[in-house]
Amino acid sequence: MAMVAVSPTDNLPVPASGRAPIVLPSGEPLPGPVPGRPRRGTSTIGTLLLCTASAMVLGAVMAVYFAIKEGSTTWPPSDVHVGTYIPTIITITAIMSGFSVQWGIFSARRNDGRNAVMALILTLFLGLAMANLEWLTFVRSGFGFNDHAYGTLYDVLIGFHLLHLLAAIVMLLVLSFRTMAGHFSGDRHDALRAGAVFWQYTNVVWFTVVTVLFIFSRHG
Amino acid sequence: MTDTMNDTSTYPQVEEGARPGAEAPSHPVAALDDPWPAGADHKYIGSLFIAAALLFLVVGVVLALAMRAQLATAEAEIVGDRTYRQLFTMHGVVSVFLFLLPVWLGLGSAIVPLQIGASRLAFPRLHAMAFWVFLAGGAMVVAAPALSDVFHGWALSDPVPVMLGLPGQGPDMLLLGLVLVCMAAVLVVINIVVTILQLRAPGLTLRRVPIFSWSIMVSGAVLLLALPVLIGAFGMLFVDRHYGASLFSGFTGSRGGNPLLWPRLFWFGAYPVLWALLIPALGAASEIVATMSGRRLFSRDRASVALVGIGVLCFAGWGSEVPTLTRARPLWILGALAVMAPVALLILNWLATMRLAGKEGDRDAVRRGFASTPMLWVLGMLPVLGLGLAASVVSALDAGRDAHSNYWQVGQQHALFFGAATIGAVAALSFWGPKLWGRRLSEALGKLELLAIVGGSLLMVLGMLLLGVQDMLVHTSTFDSNDEWALANLVASAGGAIVGLGLIVLLLDLLGSVLAGRGKPAGADPWGGQTLEWATTSPPPRHNFDALPEIRSDAPLLDLRRAPAASAGEPEEVS
Repeated sequence: MAMVAVSPTDNLPVPASGRAPIVLPSGEPLPGPVPGRPRRGTSTIGTLLLCTASAMVLGAVMAVYFAIKEGSTTWPPSDVHVGTYIPTIITITAIMSGFSVQWGIFSARRNDGRNAVMALILTLFLGLAMANLEWLTFVRSGFGFNDHAYGTLYDVLIGFHLLHLLAAIVMLLVLSFRTMAGHFSGDRHDALRAGAVFWQYTNVVWFTVVTVLFIFSRHG
Repeated sequence: MTDTMNDTSTYPQVEEGARPGAEAPSHPVAALDDPWPAGADHKYIGSLFIAAALLFLVVGVVLALAMRAQLATAEAEIVGDRTYRQLFTMHGVVSVFLFLLPVWLGLGSAIVPLQIGASRLAFPRLHAMAFWVFLAGGAMVVAAPALSDVFHGWALSDPVPVMLGLPGQGPDMLLLGLVLVCMAAVLVVINIVVTILQLRAPGLTLRRVPIFSWSIMVSGAVLLLALPVLIGAFGMLFVDRHYGASLFSGFTGSRGGNPLLWPRLFWFGAYPVLWALLIPALGAASEIVATMSGRRLFSRDRASVALVGIGVLCFAGWGSEVPTLTRARPLWILGALAVMAPVALLILNWLATMRLAGKEGDRDAVRRGFASTPMLWVLGMLPVLGLGLAASVVSALDAGRDAHSNYWQVGQQHALFFGAATIGAVAALSFWGPKLWGRRLSEALGKLELLAIVGGSLLMVLGMLLLGVQDMLVHTSTFDSNDEWALANLVASAGGAIVGLGLIVLLLDLLGSVLAGRGKPAGADPWGGQTLEWATTSPPPRHNFDALPEIRSDAPLLDLRRAPAASAGEPEEVS
């Protein structure tokens, strides 16, 4: 399955209708360069900026977390017993999904549509597995959302990742359909790259959350 | 001296990939006539943002006038204390998040693609979505008081344990609305920044991006980092209120959080946001000063650096607004002072530009330029900005103390962020409005508006600062007849009323000239513009340009006007 570039919206040339006369102070039309059209990587840069904004939201939550933690005598509260088993499994899955989504990008770069689709579907499965396990961490935590500040921040931090993960899954689902439909080619797959960037950022969010919740705080 | 700095006699270094024709489309160009839906045109959505902002400005000003009416005389009973608290809360929230923020988002997204010679924004449909999300959020914010009392000030921190004692769903809805507004703003900002980075016309290097677009990019970078902090803060506060968590209430050590956290988190985000809303006003003023002086800025590079300086340093002073951060107080004082230095440098840059224009320029042309309405707005902005900076110096030196809990704070913020930023927005509207909508605003009414808004702002701010000196606390809803506050309050109220009248005339002017189409036709280039937006029709066609002039500097049209024979139609020197 070779990929063909048929996407109508990528790297569009500027429509020149001829209806708008160019008006210059001298009054005469000038031959000149065409108006700017997007350089390569526009979607990727937009996604990177979106990730920056999202990282600042995470930063605000973490600032609150550390401020409350510093002021507490016992952290987490003594009756909190959260195992590290499920978080470890999620971390390993996140690392695997990072590799599989990258496999998709490498395949797309080689214009190998079949492998790209396979890699994306594998990544989707890993993502769904992570979402499932995260739901389990909510259900099995053994404390309520508003029992104490730790419980709130635990759920907010993991929920923050879960939201990003669900968004990334939807994004990747659309992208795999587009790959199957042949929207990308070896030198035109900016949207695919943007999706992969967001996926990797979601993984970075998970690593941060795990570090904050489980490495910097002792659990039984 | 300046011309040597900005002179680009050498042909620009253009990347080969950016040259036209290098990526020749495989499709016939004519078959792709305008593939983007009309509802995603950046000029249309930008105008909608501006219209929504003006609508919310009316709301904010009406709330403010109700407050000033209550405070105009001693022992007045026009509104009770409870209503008064709701008034100042909604006034602050609406003015910052629903007027100043969207007015710059609208002007930025409408003007920036034209200035950099692009045919559209990078993500047109995202832009359209952002507007409707913003409008939904704005409607939620405005409707919040209908659900239940919302009276904690725009910093949501009065009373200190963030309104947790306040029952009802009004504050919840306010918070959700603000989250939506901030998210929409982040999306617009990303869109504009990516457009500047990726869609510039060939030859328009980053250093040649026009100064207004540059200021929008700097302001966008600040908003991109600061607004998400507010999103996180509002989100967590919502979680606290709605789901009964206790991050910002209770006390650490017990099972709760820390009430001192909220003001720190809020001001860490809100302080840079306020400055980010002033930065485009300074950029627009720079653009207007250069255009109306008929020359380049005294030093374009230093103006760019000054704007970036404001964008960087505005993250340093947030602690000066928080009374409990006493340990690092000298640092907050320095931080709050530092951000004013680049503003002062930028003002000097404008003054030097005007001086050079008077010395070297064509006298008649300069006189005509200086008498034009946009330039008069900029000249009117100068005293308000100067007063605001002077008041800010005092505020900075008094970091975290009285000047931040009494009316000095109100006066300082209204001089900088209502006065200067709003006057800058009006100047930008009178400068670029003709380009966007094809009609000029009225010259005579413009001068009337200017006198009312600038004069009224100065009176109002002076009254407020005097109240600060007399130590009237913010959020005071009434006062005794034997207090010494009567005179200053009357002055502030009179100033506010004059500003209100000026704004009514401005809105009527906009409605009559633009919507009813009674204004003079703008023509392609009403001001002798220097940047690319003046090289197309007013209003521009959907795709903005059919062709562009050669771009050899940040002012391509000025180059053309100075040497029309040399550049017109000549073959490229380097290719």
